[in-house]
Amino acid sequence: MKKPRIGVYVCHCGENIAGAVDVKKVREFAEKLPDVVVARDYLFMCSDPGQELIKKDIRDGLVDRVVVASCTPKTHEPIFRRACEAEGLNKYYLEMANIRDQCSWPHWHEKEKATEKAKQLVASAVAKARLLKPLEDMFVELNQDVLVIGGGIAGIFAALDIGNAGYRVYLVEKNPSIGGNMAKLDKTFPTNDCSSCILTPLMVDVANHPNIELLTYSEVESVEGTVGKFRVKVRKKQTWVDWEKCTGCGACLDACPPKAMVPNEFNEGLDTRGAIYIPFPQAVPRKAVIDIDACIKCGGREFGEAPRITRDGKEILAPCEKACPTGACSRTEPKNPEGEVVELEVGAIIVATGYRVMEKTHFKELAAHSPNVITALQMERLISATGPTEGKLIIPADIPKYKAWKKKGRGEDIELRSPEVITFISCVGSRSRKYHTYCSRVCCMYMLKQAMQLKESYPDLEIYISFIDVRAAGKDFDEYYMRCKELGVKIIRGRAGGIQELPDGRLLVRSYDSDIGKPVEIVSDLVVLATAIEPSSSELARKLGISLGVEGFLREKHTKLYPVDTLREGIFICGCAQGPKDIPDSVAQAKAAASSAMALLSKGKMRVEPLIAEVDMEKCSGCGICAPLCPYKAITIEHDGKRRAEINATLCKGCGVCAAECPSKAIDLHGFTFEQILSQIEVFAEFEEA
Amino acid sequence: MEEHVPAVINLTYLWKKEREELGEKVIETIKGFGAEGIEYCMQCGACSSICPLATTGFEWYNRRLIKAIDFGIRDELFDDVTPWACVACNRCVEVCPRNVNPFEVMFAMRRLMIEELAVPMTAVQALKSLYDHGHAVYTTGREARKKVGLPEKPPTTDSDEKALEELRVLLRNTKLPELGLFPMS
Amino acid sequence: MKYGLFLGCNISFNRPDVEAAIRSVSPLLGVELDDLNGQSCCPTWGTVPSVDTIAWCAVGARNLALGEEKGIDLVTACNTCYSSLSEARYKMLNDAETMREVNEILKKIGKEYKGKSKCRHVAWVLYRDVGLDRIKKAAKYELDDIVIAVQPGCHFLWPSKVLPDREEDPFNPVVLRELCKVLGADVRPYTRMIDCCGAGALKSTNQEKSYKLAKMKLECIRKETDADLIVTTCSSCLIQLDEAQEMLRKRGEIDFSIPVLHYVQLLALCMGFDPERVAGICVTPRDEIISKIVESGRK
Repeated sequence: MKKPRIGVYVCHCGENIAGAVDVKKVREFAEKLPDVVVARDYLFMCSDPGQELIKKDIRDGLVDRVVVASCTPKTHEPIFRRACEAEGLNKYYLEMANIRDQCSWPHWHEKEKATEKAKQLVASAVAKARLLKPLEDMFVELNQDVLVIGGGIAGIFAALDIGNAGYRVYLVEKNPSIGGNMAKLDKTFPTNDCSSCILTPLMVDVANHPNIELLTYSEVESVEGTVGKFRVKVRKKQTWVDWEKCTGCGACLDACPPKAMVPNEFNEGLDTRGAIYIPFPQAVPRKAVIDIDACIKCGGREFGEAPRITRDGKEILAPCEKACPTGACSRTEPKNPEGEVVELEVGAIIVATGYRVMEKTHFKELAAHSPNVITALQMERLISATGPTEGKLIIPADIPKYKAWKKKGRGEDIELRSPEVITFISCVGSRSRKYHTYCSRVCCMYMLKQAMQLKESYPDLEIYISFIDVRAAGKDFDEYYMRCKELGVKIIRGRAGGIQELPDGRLLVRSYDSDIGKPVEIVSDLVVLATAIEPSSSELARKLGISLGVEGFLREKHTKLYPVDTLREGIFICGCAQGPKDIPDSVAQAKAAASSAMALLSKGKMRVEPLIAEVDMEKCSGCGICAPLCPYKAITIEHDGKRRAEINATLCKGCGVCAAECPSKAIDLHGFTFEQILSQIEVFAEFEEA
Repeated sequence: MEEHVPAVINLTYLWKKEREELGEKVIETIKGFGAEGIEYCMQCGACSSICPLATTGFEWYNRRLIKAIDFGIRDELFDDVTPWACVACNRCVEVCPRNVNPFEVMFAMRRLMIEELAVPMTAVQALKSLYDHGHAVYTTGREARKKVGLPEKPPTTDSDEKALEELRVLLRNTKLPELGLFPMS
Repeated sequence: MKYGLFLGCNISFNRPDVEAAIRSVSPLLGVELDDLNGQSCCPTWGTVPSVDTIAWCAVGARNLALGEEKGIDLVTACNTCYSSLSEARYKMLNDAETMREVNEILKKIGKEYKGKSKCRHVAWVLYRDVGLDRIKKAAKYELDDIVIAVQPGCHFLWPSKVLPDREEDPFNPVVLRELCKVLGADVRPYTRMIDCCGAGALKSTNQEKSYKLAKMKLECIRKETDADLIVTTCSSCLIQLDEAQEMLRKRGEIDFSIPVLHYVQLLALCMGFDPERVAGICVTPRDEIISKIVESGRK
């Protein structure tokens, strides 16, 4: 065999390496290592002139193995591999020694030792380079369908972008309708468009899109496989209403008896809904479902039971069944608590599961028990035309009287009280070491938005916003804040620390204005708490095998460079599931996630590094130890009808678990063979002895 | 001096007073007195960082006064001397990033206070002297002028009865007589 | 170069030596002065500006109209007059309604102000219109070994948008320093150069707080420049730094004494005018610095 000719290229990385490691000494040391024909150093090896040093040596026939001692292969291996490839050298003849992240940075204050360690790392890389073998890339086929989880504004945009590009999309939403939290908002900053007006057409687009299959009232059960070939089980919950027949007429809603009323999620619990319900007027799909937990089982009839028959042979139907003009509503349908499981195969997954807002109950010091202390999302519902009072501004304590008031006709007996003074309180649960340390990012702006909306509709309202500081960092946001101030909204610069309920139900808000430097008190009829945005449940992340940050939001691969990627290839994230953000940012991220998924899938196949495990059939005893250990289920114990381990190359991720465990040493991992790894360890042992 | 702004500011009392007693927001009153930019204030405090009043320990210097006005505090400030100590240096105007013109806020407060006769004697004396002699700073002793070889009287209203009368007519046609600070026949 | 000499109250009655100085130097520098007979207080801040904007502008407009009638600008050696008149003019020029209301009042005394004439500061007239060369030539004495700290004064600088002449960087003003340098002095900068001296309403409201500011400035001058002389362009700064300094020294709060001159006084001294006339009024003694200028500074 021809002797390898190794070139070693030591990078200064500006001062990043050279600040701790004596680069010249490392280079001189490398020159004397076996099979090394040349060693060079340069300020930035990854720069064009740096790469040219390597390329020229290959071109001139000087070297046929390349060792780069620099930073991490995670970011830079592709660059140097391309440089080798460009000069016709197999790119797997490259080996990197990380003398920055693993040497100069951690040993910044121990210069001599750092230099010694750098020498060891280089020697070890050279030892491996001597044994490198050329490898060829592989390609795997990809399924080009995409699964989007979550039907809020982020999920909707991701689905539409991908669907519009011609790919098939499955959009899974756990609620009966898509729309998410945005559907609950009345208006949206900084332009004050009506939320429904801009959202509803998008929801309808999704429902009518030929490339989008909508799976509402459904949840992801499990996810297996890898990028290009995820196998997903989706569980569709039982609705007890045949959606093929349901026209969304709503006749059943009024039939449901008052005893079955439960807090209405869409109105954030400010009023109630029946056990059979359509989430909101613009719901997509506009279909009814029966909430089996809320249902009082009229007539004592269990779900799945056929109705009793009267003496004259008539069925005794439940009120909802009776009211349904199309026969869609049927409690007779066999009970299926597990729901229907749909199996999908997709190439990529976008997670857009959104957020929930923190409930007020945690904040006892802010009179959470008072009905007139509400969260900001409740305030959205209170001022919305589709809200519990159809947009009529009254104090929340009087909401239960609203329906009666409306029925009786205006001006009769029942009096609804309108607020004269409203106080908003910022950072409730955000920027807190008791609850969430992060800033929820949207509260300052939505408080200003609600205040502005109120002030425009009711100029005589006294409105106070108790801010720690006003964070209005988006485009056109500070101007929005100032416009709000000019409308007469008063800013108290300090976070309220106490609210006491007065005998008449009003609220004494106690805050502190740091501008003046004194405590302030204000009697308010209504207090709005800007409670924190919280991540939705972590259950799904576990099923997907993607990680969460300490606060429970989905973690991106890299905050700046890969903001919508996850560590699991083929799974992307967007919207508030990734962290608190406003609508413009959610939409931008959704579009980014859609583009990233499409960039991955568009070619229909994917390049895979050949750094995978292979079985030597001569040595394999067919013991089967390896198969259950493989986290990717890539090993079967059958080969040509014999009991031998066989590795599926498209499933193998090259983790090396099988190779390490094989008692016959029959499995080797390309790029990390026993021989190569032992040669590296031997080098360290030699240093140890010396 | 006794502090008349209470230790805890009762905002409810203040807005009710604005609505029921004054019939106008205090901030609007102040705007009417020439501080049109007051609403643009974001309480950054740049004005106070270089304000001679803030740096010498007066209570209600520019930033705090603006916030107090925004809250509807008014009468409680009438006993405070801060606005009358303003040297009108205008450095606040130069540094204000929001074009609030804090100097005009200080002076608008003076103009409001003077209407309420919450005015220090020195200011009344200066106004009376302007009316009587055409000079805010005026002395009858002329040794200094004589010492440096100048005519006893400067070529001002001091030496020109007609001009002085002209100035008086002018002043009588301003808001000054309405205030009734001193007789202006 | 003809200007209406606007005196103001401070110079007329408290520091007429400044008036004498400006009247002495002007003809030799080619500046003709008109007396503007019948002028009044500018008006200063504590008078009508504290009452009403229109009244402020009306009194100012009457003074400016005295120049406008003769087709000349005004020149003043007092920063307050400069600032009050400039700001009044700015208000009138930028708000037609103010201008109209003011002229309605002026009409009652048979006057009108069109906004043409403005009030210039003597320092700017010397710097821009007379020019440093002419000043250098006119001076008989050179301030060779004399260290100067300058006090431009707030109203010479701010608010820059209302002033007819502006420093390129009002936070690092150079005009007064250049004017002193051309006389041969060693002009040294100091940290608190653009800070307020503590005069005016602050002094009449709370003398102790006023002294606090003066002391801060004087100590800074002493420590950072070791100046022989403080030169200002403002009559109020002149009085404050001169009088407060002597008071602080007598009380034992400071242990130094730095004479203070208005720039036109310094110029008059350099041009050889009688110190008794052009710089004869002070509290902090000037004798030593004057003899130093006259005796050892001969060109």
